[in-house]
Amino acid sequence: MSTPTFTRRALVGAALATPAIWGTNAVAQIRRGDELTVGVWGGAQERILREFVSGPMESQYGVRINYVLGGTVERRARAYAERGRPSFDVIYLNIFESRQAVRDGVTQPPTPEVPNFANLYPSARIGGYGVAYNPITVVYDRRKVAAPMTSWRDFWREDLRGKVIWPSYPGAQGTAALLMSAKVWGGDENNIDPAFANIARLRPFAGIQSSQDQLFTMFDQEIGAASVEFGSFTRMYAESRNPNIEIANPVEGQAIALNVACITVGTTKQALAQEWVNRHLSPECQRAYAERIYYSPTIRNLELPPELAAKLIIGEQAVASLVDFDWDVVIRNQPRWASRFTREIAG
Amino acid sequence: MIRPGWAAALAAPYAAWMMVAFAAPLGAVLLMSVQESPEPFAPLSWTPDWINYQEIAGDAFLRRVIVNTVLLGLGVTAASAILAYPIALWLTRLPARWRPWGFALILVPLLTNVVVRSLGIILLLSPAGVVSGIVQALGFPRPNLLFGWFAVGLALVQVFLPYMVLALYDVLEAQEKRLTEAAQGLGAGPATTFLKVTLPLSLPGLRAGLVVVFLLSSTAYVSATLVGGRQVWVSAMVVFREGLDNLNFPLASAMATVMLVLSVLVTLLIGRAIALAMPWAHGRRRRAPLLPAAAARTLFAAAEAVRPVLSPLLFGLGTALLLFPLLLVVVASVNDTPQATVAAFHGFTWRWYGLILDNPRYLGDAWISLQLAVATVLAGLLISLPAAFVLVRGTFRAKEALGAAFLLPLALPGIAVGLGMLRLLQWFTAVPAFLGILAVHVVLVAPFMLVFLRASVAGLDRTLEEAAQGLGATRRQVLMHVILPQLAPGIAVACILGFLISFGEVTVTAFLTTARLQTLPVRIYAEATFSLENTVNAISTLTILLTIALLLLLNRFVPLDRAWKR
Repeated sequence: MSTPTFTRRALVGAALATPAIWGTNAVAQIRRGDELTVGVWGGAQERILREFVSGPMESQYGVRINYVLGGTVERRARAYAERGRPSFDVIYLNIFESRQAVRDGVTQPPTPEVPNFANLYPSARIGGYGVAYNPITVVYDRRKVAAPMTSWRDFWREDLRGKVIWPSYPGAQGTAALLMSAKVWGGDENNIDPAFANIARLRPFAGIQSSQDQLFTMFDQEIGAASVEFGSFTRMYAESRNPNIEIANPVEGQAIALNVACITVGTTKQALAQEWVNRHLSPECQRAYAERIYYSPTIRNLELPPELAAKLIIGEQAVASLVDFDWDVVIRNQPRWASRFTREIAG
Repeated sequence: MIRPGWAAALAAPYAAWMMVAFAAPLGAVLLMSVQESPEPFAPLSWTPDWINYQEIAGDAFLRRVIVNTVLLGLGVTAASAILAYPIALWLTRLPARWRPWGFALILVPLLTNVVVRSLGIILLLSPAGVVSGIVQALGFPRPNLLFGWFAVGLALVQVFLPYMVLALYDVLEAQEKRLTEAAQGLGAGPATTFLKVTLPLSLPGLRAGLVVVFLLSSTAYVSATLVGGRQVWVSAMVVFREGLDNLNFPLASAMATVMLVLSVLVTLLIGRAIALAMPWAHGRRRRAPLLPAAAARTLFAAAEAVRPVLSPLLFGLGTALLLFPLLLVVVASVNDTPQATVAAFHGFTWRWYGLILDNPRYLGDAWISLQLAVATVLAGLLISLPAAFVLVRGTFRAKEALGAAFLLPLALPGIAVGLGMLRLLQWFTAVPAFLGILAVHVVLVAPFMLVFLRASVAGLDRTLEEAAQGLGATRRQVLMHVILPQLAPGIAVACILGFLISFGEVTVTAFLTTARLQTLPVRIYAEATFSLENTVNAISTLTILLTIALLLLLNRFVPLDRAWKR
C-alpha cells in the first residue's frame, strides 16, 4: 500500500515545471531506442494511430511505440494508482475524466510547445489535447415517430410515449442525456432536479441501453424508437445496416464529447510524448479520423470535401454550438447522481 | 486416510501460492473497505472505520441488491443443475470416439464473446423473438421477457451450465454401471433408478457444480449489464460503479467484502446440505425417510409418468441453449457488416478471417494467451491435486473450513481482485510480466480445478488401492497404476476448464497487461470498447476449432472415459 508523499499542489507544480526542464525544442530530446507507452482504445483507432502516428515516428526517430489497449475506466484507474510514477507516457481519456486528471495531478495540462496546439479549438485545449470531437445527439428510427425529431424536448412528445430507449448513467451518453434534459427543462448542472423529475416522467422506457452495440441491437429488433448516442457511430450503423435511423441536429445543439490525449505527470519521455501528440493532431491523421470513423477534427487547418463535412462538426461556429458543461460540477456530483439514477430512473 | 503431517505437506503448495498471490490483493481490499475517506488520494489510515459497512447496512437499495444477487445466484444454480443432468448422462453414454465432439458442444458458450452471447439472448427473448412466438402460439398474451431478471438468469445459465455438466460428468462416468442394471432388475423404472441410485451417487459432483456455479453467478456482472436493461442490479455492478466510475474504492471494497462473506456462508451451507444427503459417506446411519412410504410411492409413480416427456424436454432445452451461440457466431463470422452484433445476414465474406490472419498482433497475442493458459493449468494442477487429496482424505477437524478458505478467490468478485491488484501495482510491475500474470491466473483457476478434482478424488474406489497394496504394490505403484488412471478423466476435465478460464480471462487481466504482455481477450475487449467488430466472431470460430483439435489430441493421451470399466 503506497501513500503519496507529495502533496497534490507539489505534483501539479512539478507538472507545470516539467517543460522548462526540457527546453523549448522538445524534438531535440528524442533519442534512438527510446520507448513510448501509450494507453488507448483498440479497433479502428489503433489502426489509424499505427498508420499515421507510430509508424512514421518509429521510422523517423528509431524509437519504439508500445500500445496498451483497453477501456477508459481501467486505464484511468491504473493511471491514478500510478500517479507520479506512471507506466504510461500518454493516455487517452474522455472530456470530464481528462480535466479531473489534470486537477488531480495525474496528467499534465496542455502546452503550446506542441506545435499543433496552436490550431486547436478552445474547447479542445482543456485537460490535455482534444484529438476528436465525437458529439452526442438524438438518434431515432424515422418509421416510428410521427414527425422528425428536432429538439431534445421531443423525447417527451406523445408519439414517443413508451418508445424511448434511455442511456444508462454514468457513461458518456447517459451524462449527455441527463445534462441536456436539465437544460431543456429549465435546470442546469447546478440544478439537476428538473432533469430527474422529467426523465422519470418518460417511464416506462422501451429499454435502457448501456452501449452502442446494445442500442443498435435494439434498433435492429425494433424495440424502441429513439435514444441518445454518439452521432459518429450511429451514422456508421445507419449507413451499413439500418437506413431508417436518423441522426438529429437538435435546435439546442449537440452535447460535446471529446477524446483527449493526456501526457502523464512523471513521464520520462516528455519530448517523445509531445511529438506523439503533435502527430495525432496533424491534418493527415485528423482526416483519416473523419473519413473512416466520422470523428470531427479538433484542429482548424483541415479542409474536407463538402459531402463529408456535412456529416461532421466543422468550423468555428459549429464547434462553438456544441453544448459544453461545467465538468467540475458534473464529476463532483457523479456518485450522487448515479445513485439517484438507479433509484429514480432505472433500478 | 492421510495423517496430519502429510496433509500439511500436501496442502502447502496450494496454500503458499494463495498466500503469495491472493492474500495480498484480498488484504488490500479488506484494508480499503475500512477507510473513511472516499477520496482516491486520501492517506491510508490503519485505524479501521466502519462507515462503508454502515452505509451498506443503512441503504435499502444496496441491501436489496445484495439479497437479489444471492437469490439470482441460487436460482441460476438450481436451473443449471436441473438442465445439466440429462446432458451429463448423455455425455457418459456417448461412444468414446465421439466424446471430444460432445465436450466441444458443451463448451461453446465458454468460447464465445459475452456481448455476442447476450445478443443471442436478446434475439431469443425480444418481442418478435423465438420464445415470444412460442408463448403466443400457445395462446398466451405476449410476454415481456427481455431486460429483466429472467433474461439475466437465462444468460447466466447459458454460460455456467457447462461447468455444472463437467462437474457431473466425471462422477457419473465413474459410477458402477451394474448398480443401475441391478436397480432395473429389481423392478425400478428409469426415473426411480435415477432418483434412488444415480442421483445420490453423483452428489460429490453435484456439490462441486453447485458451489462453482453459485460463486460464479453471484459475482458476475457483465451479463446483468448487457441483458438486464438496468432493471437488474447485482452486487458486482455496484462494485464496478463505485470502484471504477466513481473511484470510491472504500465503498466498492466494502461491498465486495460483504459479498465474499455471504458467498462463503452459502458455500458452507451447500457442503453441509450435501453431507446430510449422503450419510453413508461419513459412516453414519441412514436418516429416517422424509416421506411416509405411501407418499413416496405416489411420488415415484408420478416421476415415472412424467419422465418420458420431461427428460427429453430438459435435454432439448439445455442443448439448444448451449448450441444457439454457435449458430450466431459462425454465421456472423462470415457476415459482411462491420458490427459484430447483427441479426440479419448482409452477404458472405472471408474478410474478418483475413483481418486476423494478416495481422501478426492477433496471432502474437493469441500465442501469449496460449502459453499463459498452458502454464496456468500445469501450475494449477500441481498445487490443486495434492490439496484435493487432503480435503477428501484428511482427518483433521478444520477440513471444511480449509476447503472454504481455498475457494475464497472464487467468492471475491473478479473486479475486486482487479481493484486490489491496482493498489499493489508498484510491487506487481517489479515482477517479470509473464510470471506476475501467471501468478494471478493460477489464483483464478486453481480453485476451480480444486473443486472438480475434489469430487473426482472422492469418487475413487478405495478397494482397488487396498487390493493393490495387499498384492505388494508400493505406494508409488499404487499412485501410478491405480489412482492416476482412475483420476484421468477428472484431471482432463479440470485441465480443459482451467485452460479455458485462463485463455478467456479479461476482468482482472485488463488491469495488469503492460506494453510487454497483452493477451488476446484483452485485445478483443479493448476493441469492443470502441466498437465490436466481426473479427470477434471469427476469433470465436477459430477458438472453437482449436478447442476441438485440442480435445481430439487430449483424448489420444488422456482418455475422457474409463474404457477398462466396460
